[in-house]
Amino acid sequence: MPSIARKNLFYDRTRFAITVIGITFSVVLIFTTIGVYLGFMQDASFIVESIPADIWVTSKNLQNFNFAWPISERKVEQIKEVKGVAETEKMIHSWGVMKLNTGGTEQVEIIGLDPEGAFGFPWTMVAGAPTDVKGGDFVIVDRSSVKRLGRLKVGDVREINDFRIKVVGLTKGLKSITTAPYVITSYDTSTLFNPYFREPVFILVRTFPGEPVAAVAERIREHVSNVDVYTRAGLSGKTRWYWTVATGMGMGFLLTAFVGFVIGMVVVSQTIYSSTVEHIREFGTLKAIGATNWTIYKIILEQAAVNAGIGFIVGLGLVLFIQKGYAALGIAMLIPVPLMIAVSVLTLAMCLSASIVSIRKVRTLDPVMVFRA
Amino acid sequence: MSDCILEARSLGKVYEEGPVKVEAVRDVSLQVSGGQSVAIMGPSGSGKTTLLSMIGCILRPSRGDVFIEGRPVRWEGEDLSRVRLNSIGFVFQTFNLFSALTALENVEVALELRGVRGSEARRRAREMLETVGLADRLNFLPRDLSGGQKQRVSIARALVNRPPLILADEPTGNLDSKTGHAIIELLRDLVVRERRSVVVVTHDTRMMDLVHRVYRLEDGVLVS
Repeated sequence: MPSIARKNLFYDRTRFAITVIGITFSVVLIFTTIGVYLGFMQDASFIVESIPADIWVTSKNLQNFNFAWPISERKVEQIKEVKGVAETEKMIHSWGVMKLNTGGTEQVEIIGLDPEGAFGFPWTMVAGAPTDVKGGDFVIVDRSSVKRLGRLKVGDVREINDFRIKVVGLTKGLKSITTAPYVITSYDTSTLFNPYFREPVFILVRTFPGEPVAAVAERIREHVSNVDVYTRAGLSGKTRWYWTVATGMGMGFLLTAFVGFVIGMVVVSQTIYSSTVEHIREFGTLKAIGATNWTIYKIILEQAAVNAGIGFIVGLGLVLFIQKGYAALGIAMLIPVPLMIAVSVLTLAMCLSASIVSIRKVRTLDPVMVFRA
Repeated sequence: MSDCILEARSLGKVYEEGPVKVEAVRDVSLQVSGGQSVAIMGPSGSGKTTLLSMIGCILRPSRGDVFIEGRPVRWEGEDLSRVRLNSIGFVFQTFNLFSALTALENVEVALELRGVRGSEARRRAREMLETVGLADRLNFLPRDLSGGQKQRVSIARALVNRPPLILADEPTGNLDSKTGHAIIELLRDLVVRERRSVVVVTHDTRMMDLVHRVYRLEDGVLVS
């Protein structure tokens, strides 16, 4: 079967190349925009997602994980009384300013948690051990902080909020959406840095196995006043929602992805339409010799689908290459399989819908034209 | 008439452009029997192409009826496509080949539309092109063929499904005299050999000696 669609596509290689470049550009723009957005969202809720607590209790009217306020330490005892609560752990999240070797300063986010507590330090260590933070003013930093804090190594000494600290370990993959580097220390040490953060910011809860987490969270809400109670997914979702909606960041990403979609649609629509117009006499001939409209629609749709397939594959290849470049710059760009499937479907939909104008042209095509010289 | 392939009864066509009405064809009746070849001649603007479009089931007449193989044509989309596909082969003045397809593929397209696929379609298309003298041009694109060769491909495409009726619109109109003559002879030989009926719309007076009957059309009316 000679595929008129494919033959037409490859017959005019310039037009075909323009179409594929347009789709590729669109695919790359959509992938990078959404991929970087997903990377930011991963950073936004990384701490919440990585600590295996079932329930997070924190100050009332929380906006997001990074801007929580301390609550009374007495809440820990109240929470322990709630049916279904197996273990609790105090955690501090606060802000500080680190003095750099260069004499400058840099803002940091301080996480205080007992490394031998209910949840330990779940992060990947590349130097030192979590328990090394105990017994002194010791901290662990993430190696991704190199651009902000300089190349810190175990044994380096710095100051945070005028308190002298010593680096005893390094993690990897621990980044905040705020771009301020995380500094991990013990709960007790973290209370020293900031007079407003002497009490827990979060009380982490592990429920008994088999106990419905939502039910326990509801009981805590009823039993403990003036706190917000979240499941892990709830706090993660609230934090992501804050950064996506409240800051307008999500709309920015969405608009960029939409622009990519529109660019692709316009390019494909133009090239497919010009191809249809150029081959209009041939389509008229097909009609005249007995082809139905649907036969011709299939040719146009096949052209669109082949364009979409090739543009998507080229675009994905480029994106995977760009992803490595982003990683070298310390920016996470996530391309999960569901995103690949979604963008492939979107690309196909974009190309097929771009064919509508051409299909309308063919639908109204009068085969009498074939007799005109 | 049992072997009547084509019958037109009182065909008329009026084109309306706003308040202006132009009667392109008036009360034309004709018959073409199996194996018969007919030429429709007349000056430019006499309504030849309009008449051909109507008997080719491409243009709906304003008045009258068309019968193909004894069956009245119902002027509905699917039915028209089916009639054209099963009963009529078209040869065009400007060839109307698919520019991106080779000669072989151009002929295969007609077979594909009839549901003949794969190696069978390829075999039949090759045989038809050999019959029209293009055995050595099977894989040439139209841009690499001469006008006469393109018209041979067009004829092969029209005949490959063995339709009982061939309609040819000025088949020599875009060809030089010598090539045009060769095409006329080819068309005549094939029609005789394949026992098809053919209706040729033409200015070419050489056709008069090669067909069974000549209709003359002037101002949309058959005059002889």
